[in-house]
Amino acid sequence: MFKKSALLIGMMFVPFATSAAEVPITGTVESRCIIQTDAAGTFGNPNAYTLTTTAADGGDPAVVRYDITLADAYYAEITPPTQFSSAPNLPDVVTFTGDVSVKTVSDASGMGTYETDKLEVGDTDRYDLTATGSTWFAIESTATMGGSKAFAGGTYTAVAEAVCIAK
Amino acid sequence: MALPVQAHEMVPTYPRLEQSHLDNILKTTMKMFNKRADVEYYEIGVFDKDFNPVPFVSAYNVFKLEYLGHVTFDIYIRASDRNRAVYVCSKSKLRKDSDTKTAISSKICSKFKDD
Repeated sequence: MFKKSALLIGMMFVPFATSAAEVPITGTVESRCIIQTDAAGTFGNPNAYTLTTTAADGGDPAVVRYDITLADAYYAEITPPTQFSSAPNLPDVVTFTGDVSVKTVSDASGMGTYETDKLEVGDTDRYDLTATGSTWFAIESTATMGGSKAFAGGTYTAVAEAVCIAK
Repeated sequence: MALPVQAHEMVPTYPRLEQSHLDNILKTTMKMFNKRADVEYYEIGVFDKDFNPVPFVSAYNVFKLEYLGHVTFDIYIRASDRNRAVYVCSKSKLRKDSDTKTAISSKICSKFKDD
């Protein structure tokens, strides 16, 4: 009788012992810069000779987010489009203007001066990413056809460049 | 409203060049993760401090990386270029037939760590 009870108790514990096996999940956190494209942006067409990402004209600015896990280790360099990467035939020269600005930050105290401290070199804006966290940048672009000629019907694509450079 | 997240990342930030199995050839290993659904191809390059290209060898200069895919790749440079080589960069390659009206090319540059 005693042997049967001992066996029964022993069998009851076997499943529990098996289900308690540990499955380790390991990971390593490395310092990194991640570029997230939150919105690709779209052009509005407020008149025949202008394409613009301005919201009031029916466009949407492109938005990129930089996630930084190591302070004072990266620069962000963002360049609005300077030409179309694909477009129908263009009847005249197109002039591009653009602007980059800080839209939102995850740490207002550490990142509050990003916009005022930025360095503009040609078409490119360079930001010194001195704090860890996320920064959203809005990229505005306007393309104006020369001679006030009309943009032909079709799809126009222009590419903005977002670069993260280790210091 | 939740927006789809499209991310490009490359590590390490400060790779170290080490002696490879070949004389006078240095090697480093990089890892990339593609979370950009709109990008399938990335181009890698090695540059000096002014972003002039420095000769290097890798399995592919342009490689395909599926959405949510990881890749580990080796970069080889000549030992004589050690002091010239400052950055190793990966750049997203966008398709010309993309139907978005503006697009974003992302580029991440790591910096070789001084010995």
